[in-house]
Amino acid sequence: MSDLLRRGRLLIPVLLLCALPFYLDAFWLRIGLFSMAAAIGAVGLGLLSGTAGQLSLGHAFFLAVGAYGYVWLAGDDGPGLPPAVALVLAVLLAGAAGGLFSPVAGRVKGIYLGVATLALVFLGHHVLLTADSVTGGFNGSSVPPLEVGGFAFDQGDGLAVLGVPFGAEERLWYLGLALFALTWFTARGLLRGRPGRALVALRDSETAAAVMGVHVARYRSAAFVVSSMYAGLAGVLLALAFRRVVPDYFSLALSVDYLAMIVIGGLGSVAGATAGAVFVTALPLLMTRYADQLPLVAAPGSGDGSLGPTEAARYLYGAAIVVILLFAPDGLTGLARRARARLARRRRPASAPSDPGAAPRPPATAVRAKEHTP
Amino acid sequence: MTARTAAPPPLEVREVTVRFAGLTALDEVSFTVAPRTVHAVIGPNGAGKSTCFNVLSGLYRPVSGTVRLGERELTRLAPHRIAALGVARTFQNIVTTQGTVADNLMLGRHALSRAGFAASALRLPRAVREQREHLARAREIAELTGLGALFDTPVALLSYGDRKRVELARALCLEPRVLLLDEPVAGMNAGERVRMAEVVGEVRAELGLSVVLVEHDMGLVMRLADEVTVLDFGRRIAHGTPDQVRRDPEVLRAYLGTGAGGEDAA
Repeated sequence: MSDLLRRGRLLIPVLLLCALPFYLDAFWLRIGLFSMAAAIGAVGLGLLSGTAGQLSLGHAFFLAVGAYGYVWLAGDDGPGLPPAVALVLAVLLAGAAGGLFSPVAGRVKGIYLGVATLALVFLGHHVLLTADSVTGGFNGSSVPPLEVGGFAFDQGDGLAVLGVPFGAEERLWYLGLALFALTWFTARGLLRGRPGRALVALRDSETAAAVMGVHVARYRSAAFVVSSMYAGLAGVLLALAFRRVVPDYFSLALSVDYLAMIVIGGLGSVAGATAGAVFVTALPLLMTRYADQLPLVAAPGSGDGSLGPTEAARYLYGAAIVVILLFAPDGLTGLARRARARLARRRRPASAPSDPGAAPRPPATAVRAKEHTP
Repeated sequence: MTARTAAPPPLEVREVTVRFAGLTALDEVSFTVAPRTVHAVIGPNGAGKSTCFNVLSGLYRPVSGTVRLGERELTRLAPHRIAALGVARTFQNIVTTQGTVADNLMLGRHALSRAGFAASALRLPRAVREQREHLARAREIAELTGLGALFDTPVALLSYGDRKRVELARALCLEPRVLLLDEPVAGMNAGERVRMAEVVGEVRAELGLSVVLVEHDMGLVMRLADEVTVLDFGRRIAHGTPDQVRRDPEVLRAYLGTGAGGEDAA
């Protein structure tokens, strides 16, 4: 019964998200689309950094592998595969790239892995710039539209649903929703299942995990591979949304953006990674759009040394990270959980026994047991 | 799914030596844990008790000597392989992971379950079924150790004594044949000590496993142990039943620092 109720609660936001293309214009749909792509990538990084405690600065590299992999596999320069096949292969390719890195990812832990993955970003950027024949070099290359069963996710032939013209944004919106739903479903299955518990144990105490039967190196590499696959999927969706991929997009700054997402959202949860992804993605786009109405922010491209909207957004979310680390180390999910617990307390008489699920959970960092040094 | 019913094989420690950069932490230590007995390893601080546990669970590799569980040699195996053979342990300082008591206990089921990344991500029926079965067994073990009412409580909210029992329950979730307890009652108050001693006694009787116990609480050791090995500065200085060990002049000297006078030993 409660299971049905929980599913029912999920149904409302799903219906709402499905209805949005009928009411929103292309600008808002594009924000949503970029947010969904970012959320997929952030869920992947959250699995690696939030759950398994492995820092990665190389997320942009795997996004690039997914994006460029799709472009090349589906494009005329490459084998020219059907785009749907190229999508799947691009995700697998990103996973394989993560697998190639597993000798490092399985042995090196925490912040040291962060430093090791830094190299990947620079290597990837260099390859993207120099391997012209595959990547199109500095100018990048255009992205072939996705086609599934004869239905193309592009501007198309003037298709209209219920009187609303369905262009590329509307179509891609539903693709993004489907891919995000897949991510949500699989990531939550992973986290609540045997692998998720093993990864949490690895993060909290490698020794305890090993003694409980967890193959440390194998699970560390597997977390890295899975995280790379989500990044690859995010990369494909981003490429489809941008319609053009350029090397400069996949820079270190992008990796840092993804770290910001999972920290702002709250480490170790799928919902948190999603919330952080929406925040970090939507903020600069919204600020660019409404630059003229904001104080202290110049219109884009005014170039007189004043603060542009993109920079202002960076300052804002930099500040958001500092505020969150200081006052809510468990991120937006922690804030939401505490707000819910407070509401529940207010609604219930003070004498009623408190529900253990609603009890304020201490932030992840506080629960983390010290590494056992035998 | 159920407890292993056959008697556990004997755990044989043969002339194990461990050195850290010139310091000999264990010096040719030998003892045998007979099936279904409680074997205590005692000694003053720094005697090598925890080092001994770390060798048994595969965290340290000895420079010489062997550890055997029945026919299998454990000395060259990685910790997760040893766990899979049915050797479970607790830690001196509590090492629980984030989440509820259930989450911690389910970690103990890791070696006994199969669901991998793909099966869990896609929530395949067999992964879901497996999870449900193991959760039921984890709940049984929680009841057995007196954690039934706390099953869905986050570990971080539990008292010290309860967290110690979570560690014990998590080790039991491995369905171990040999259970290594590293100071199970350290830091507990008198009431918690008595409960812990009862629980250890019960699980040994009910699950039929061998227990290796490191403990400073002599009352507990004398009450629970069938055999006692005494270490001092990495060497075995005495061995025998609790009564024999209590009267051993070497043991008195190590603990009390007096001359090996036999007449006042009691």
